[in-house]
Amino acid sequence: MASSTTITQQKKPERSLSPWQIARKKFLRNKLAMASTIFIIIVTVISLLAPFLAPYLSPNPDITKVNIGSMNIQPNGEHILGTDKSGRDVLTRLFYGGRVSLLVGFSATLMVITLGTVVGSIAGFFGGAVDSILMRFTDFVLNFPFLVFVIVLNTVLYGIVDGLWVLIMVIGVLSWGGVARLVRSKVLAEKENEYILAALSIGCSPWKVIRKHLLPNVMSTIIVQGTLIFASMIVVESALSYLGFGVPQTTPSWGNMLSSANEPDVLQGKPWIWMPPALVITLTILSINFIGEGLKDALNPKSLR
Amino acid sequence: MTTRDFIQERIDSLESREVLLDVQNLKTYYPVTGGFFKRVVGNVKAVDDVSFTIRRGETLGLVGESGCGKSTTGRTILRLLKPTGGKILFEGKDITKVSGSKLQKARRDFQMVFQDPYASLNPMQMVGDIIAEPILNYEKRNKQELEQEIKSLLTRVGLPEEAYYKYAHEFSGGQRQRIGIARALALNPKLIVADEPVSALDVSVQSQVLNLLKDLQKEFDLTYLFIAHDLSVVKHMSDRIGVMYLGNLVELASNRDLYREPLHPYTQALISAIPEPNTAIKKERIVLQGDVPSPQNPPSGCPFHTRCPMAMDICSKEKPPLKEVRPGHHVACLLY
Repeated sequence: MASSTTITQQKKPERSLSPWQIARKKFLRNKLAMASTIFIIIVTVISLLAPFLAPYLSPNPDITKVNIGSMNIQPNGEHILGTDKSGRDVLTRLFYGGRVSLLVGFSATLMVITLGTVVGSIAGFFGGAVDSILMRFTDFVLNFPFLVFVIVLNTVLYGIVDGLWVLIMVIGVLSWGGVARLVRSKVLAEKENEYILAALSIGCSPWKVIRKHLLPNVMSTIIVQGTLIFASMIVVESALSYLGFGVPQTTPSWGNMLSSANEPDVLQGKPWIWMPPALVITLTILSINFIGEGLKDALNPKSLR
Repeated sequence: MTTRDFIQERIDSLESREVLLDVQNLKTYYPVTGGFFKRVVGNVKAVDDVSFTIRRGETLGLVGESGCGKSTTGRTILRLLKPTGGKILFEGKDITKVSGSKLQKARRDFQMVFQDPYASLNPMQMVGDIIAEPILNYEKRNKQELEQEIKSLLTRVGLPEEAYYKYAHEFSGGQRQRIGIARALALNPKLIVADEPVSALDVSVQSQVLNLLKDLQKEFDLTYLFIAHDLSVVKHMSDRIGVMYLGNLVELASNRDLYREPLHPYTQALISAIPEPNTAIKKERIVLQGDVPSPQNPPSGCPFHTRCPMAMDICSKEKPPLKEVRPGHHVACLLY
């Protein structure tokens, strides 16, 4: 315990560790989670710095443009990971693809978590009619046919709005239902504690009670859920792009790169085209899940690690 | 001066002071909903027609067994719950129907000490912030001054100044309750509702916290509504005591009168159950039969008649009002 050290070396009053600081300490001790964090940081940095790091800079040969002269080249000194069926350098597309996949994952997660937390905490805290209306709306959103909606919206908005942001908006707007339910149930359990009643009795407004007392105490659940959603959003982006309904084909993304594997010839004979994105997607998702697990342990006051 | 004179003097001095809180026919029902559209199918009558007054500087004890509505009464008075009927007058102002930001403003004058010291402090807040929050809700303050003020408040409730920088989980139950008391005191309120403030604590710690509450009352001229189920605790704390049964106030008398001469059969049974430390004194124990009826479907007439050893025919038909049978001694029983 921190208090014992405080007593022995006490000169001036030392601040105790806040629950967040304790969680951070626990997280830093978790090797798997730390390794995963480092991996994610590397992937993010590479993606952000793609224009400087990629071996083949635009415009020549442009990452989005077909280059018939260098189709399906096996990995060699010039093209470390080879080129795809349109003659584009795989490593360059992998770097640029990370930007799209991580951007979609991050933005969609942010949207999902924000919407879900707002709806869930209001429904849980106020209860009654507010709760009923919001939760019926949540049920409606949860039961919405996701794929159909994505396809229709993508078609309707094609050319009007940037395809990437259409995808992010659609995923975000349709996926917050689960978070809303989770946050609501957590808020329902948490608001039974007397400190919520105490907060009201010392003159806090309901909004302040939600902001300062309820949310910090359900935040750990939200953060953990957020990391898991981040992972699943990358999968959703990849899956949709693979199907051709996601990011426009002209923009490289990990999912787009994978979609070339739907040709039996590529799948069987040219693994260098689809293996790298598949591997990076898998490792990224695994890492995010490990981070989520680590956060869960770190934020749980009862865990010893 | 003997103890008796001392008590008499306190009673006389209280008598001359003005009424701080006037509760008239307070009712709080919890709706019971059922069916597909959450229709209201019944009410749990947690508080059913309760009236009393508290004078400034006085401690009114409320006793009763679990589920009799004493906590609900306390919370309704602080308007943490919506009253179903009746009136709450605080310093003559009706606060029954106040809501929103006006209620927020009014709450400055009445604070609460909670029952569970483990659940009533936000685990994510530093103790200093917990105590500063009520003040900052009402005033803008200089940070350093406020910190000094809170540290002296911590010292006043018997905690070290360093407690300011700690978190609630680093304290024992009794210390946490002191933090809760400091939070309630921070706004310098006129009325404090103490909802079983010591029932979750060790017996050895109970008396320390009770004496702290008593000292603070003298120092800050506080008025307490003291809720408890422990009769000896209430006796130690209160000037007057109200006994509740099934949402009703059945007896209201001064501390002395109630323990010396309980009039309501329920009070008599309760008082006979207090353990007597002197084994030489043989006490007759009144054991009540049966269980407390459901407050969702309370018995007709007197709520106590199903278990009353002295029940008469009329008791199941007529609900006795709370009336003053002796000076300052109110009882709701058809025997008187």
